[in-house]
Amino acid sequence: MILSLIILYVVTLVYLSITERFRHYATLMTYQGWLLLLIALLRLHSIHWLDLLFVVTETLIFKAIVVPMMLRRIIKHNKINRVQPAGRSQFGSLVMSIVALVASACITYLVADDSINQAFFCVSLYALLSGLILIVMRRRLFAHLVGFLTIENGVFLFSMAMGVEMPILINTAILLDIVMSILLLGMFLTKIGDRIKVDDTDSLTSVKD
Amino acid sequence: MDMTMFYYIVAAIALAAMTGLARSRRLVVSFASVFFVMQAAFAVWSVTAGAGVQSAQFFTFDATGTLFMVLMAIVSPFAFVHSFDYLRDNNLPEFRLYNMLMVLLCTAVSAVYFANNIAVTWIFLEATTICAAGIIYHRRSPETLEATWKYIFVCSTGIAMAYLGVLILSSAAHEGSLSYESLREAVAHCNPLYLKIAFLLVLAGYSCKMEIFPLYTIGVDANFAAPAPAASLISTVLVNAGFVAILRVYRLMAASVVFEWVQSVLVLAGVVSLVIGALFLRRTNNYKRFLSYSTVENMGIAAIGLGIGGVAAWAAVLHVAAHTLIKSSMFLQIGVVRSIYDGYRINRLGDYMQLNRVGAAGLMLGALALLAFPPSPLFVSELMILRQTMGEGQWWLVAVIFLLLCIVIYSIFSRVIKLCYQPNQSPTRKSEHATWLSWSAFSLLAVAFVVGLTMPEWLKVWIEQIVNF
Repeated sequence: MILSLIILYVVTLVYLSITERFRHYATLMTYQGWLLLLIALLRLHSIHWLDLLFVVTETLIFKAIVVPMMLRRIIKHNKINRVQPAGRSQFGSLVMSIVALVASACITYLVADDSINQAFFCVSLYALLSGLILIVMRRRLFAHLVGFLTIENGVFLFSMAMGVEMPILINTAILLDIVMSILLLGMFLTKIGDRIKVDDTDSLTSVKD
Repeated sequence: MDMTMFYYIVAAIALAAMTGLARSRRLVVSFASVFFVMQAAFAVWSVTAGAGVQSAQFFTFDATGTLFMVLMAIVSPFAFVHSFDYLRDNNLPEFRLYNMLMVLLCTAVSAVYFANNIAVTWIFLEATTICAAGIIYHRRSPETLEATWKYIFVCSTGIAMAYLGVLILSSAAHEGSLSYESLREAVAHCNPLYLKIAFLLVLAGYSCKMEIFPLYTIGVDANFAAPAPAASLISTVLVNAGFVAILRVYRLMAASVVFEWVQSVLVLAGVVSLVIGALFLRRTNNYKRFLSYSTVENMGIAAIGLGIGGVAAWAAVLHVAAHTLIKSSMFLQIGVVRSIYDGYRINRLGDYMQLNRVGAAGLMLGALALLAFPPSPLFVSELMILRQTMGEGQWWLVAVIFLLLCIVIYSIFSRVIKLCYQPNQSPTRKSEHATWLSWSAFSLLAVAFVVGLTMPEWLKVWIEQIVNF
């Protein structure tokens, strides 16, 4: 069951690379939040019920509801719609994403060590690479934000691989979620949109050499 | 169990809260001053009674933490005193918010220095991002907003990557505890590929704090946007926090089979940082960015020292310690420059020797110290790194370092000489406190020169303990 959910999670990552509309990003983040919630419930059922309650509540409220809601508010507030100007192909992104997936699988295969849950390791690595690809390949700040959230979800997924032995690691990952995501999303919503007025990285070039 | 660290953090947070709620500038200054007295007392305690003591479970007063804590206790009061003058035109809410964040930044950094647990190091490094971001946004201009956004975004990405590295490391080690000591025993039997991936992620993530390749850029932007006295802390004590975090993982890796590979990666990161620092020192037209690239260059040298190992690792620690005193002095001097010219543009500012002789002399001597001319302690550290590199037979590396250092020497000298002697094209104003502020910044440089001349025995012993693993 967990493996099926992880495969679905991979599908959301692949779809992130080809989607052309920002509202689809928000939808994919919602799906990822729900998938992480289900994985947490199945994977961590043996930990202390208070720890489990905390993780599940955080995942449900924060990842499945608050973050997607804030993303939608940003889209509405800044009136942004497309990832790239119309007519541009997403083929390059798709190729990069597939290369990242193959690279993650190859590294996992090369490690060939059962000290780490290999499915979680592979997908987390792929999530990290997907996030970095989004940040590097996309020009729009909103896409960078989604790239960061993708990396964060990947880190959270991997923390669940070890959460049974060390629940403190999941709690620390949650700390990262709450503090940094709220700070970034809040700043984007309240400051960047209002003061800089545009959503392209071209507008963020006054601080340079 | 000793709880000194816990009490220190609680007291510091309480003082920060009082600073943030103070109803007059005088009260803000009073609470901040109490914090510095407490910080100094804490540093003295960690040197004397605290040596080797484990505190509040997650902290240990070891030589690494103590050395950098003492440096912070020396440097941060200067940054505060200069801030009081720098922010004289600010209103009360801005003034107290800035001071509150500075107190919190110092507290978070001290926790990073003493953390004996890889997760605790990570948590407090994350906390420094929030404090530093508030300080960077202090002027609330579009430039500072941009720099703050970049800082938070890149730091968050870096910190998330570093956490993935921490997770992989602790997972591969199969160790219930995340203390450095337990992990060190466990990594000897870990899968090498896991260790390599973990180290790459941790190094890349923490590079945003240590200001080395790959995520060095945000440190430069942060120093550019933050008020100069705050930049003197961001570019030294916060950079040291990144250095300590990487040094502790480096020491972990020393027990594993991938240590040689780890050293090669550090050399590579160091050389690339040195190249970037040297090239951008020529290119930039802003004195604060100029000093920031000098930090990138110096941290690159420290990374090379760690990568070479042996005596060079000893020299790397000395290099970072000396850099703290010299660079903070330089940033504070640049803050004084701003109080006279109201700007930092290299191609416009000039005649500083006529306008502020003490400040100009301080900048020129600081430039000499940064360029490792004796009696600067950087002379000793760079010489030792080069000697060890030659001893290892890595002549290509020696040649590259020499070439890049020549560019650095030319760039720094030409820029400082320009400021002192080129015809000024910028409006100036009378600064009442410029002379004594320049003297106070100069006193930090004097401490560095005294260290370079005498090389105290206790310092040698401390550094020996830090690199003896």
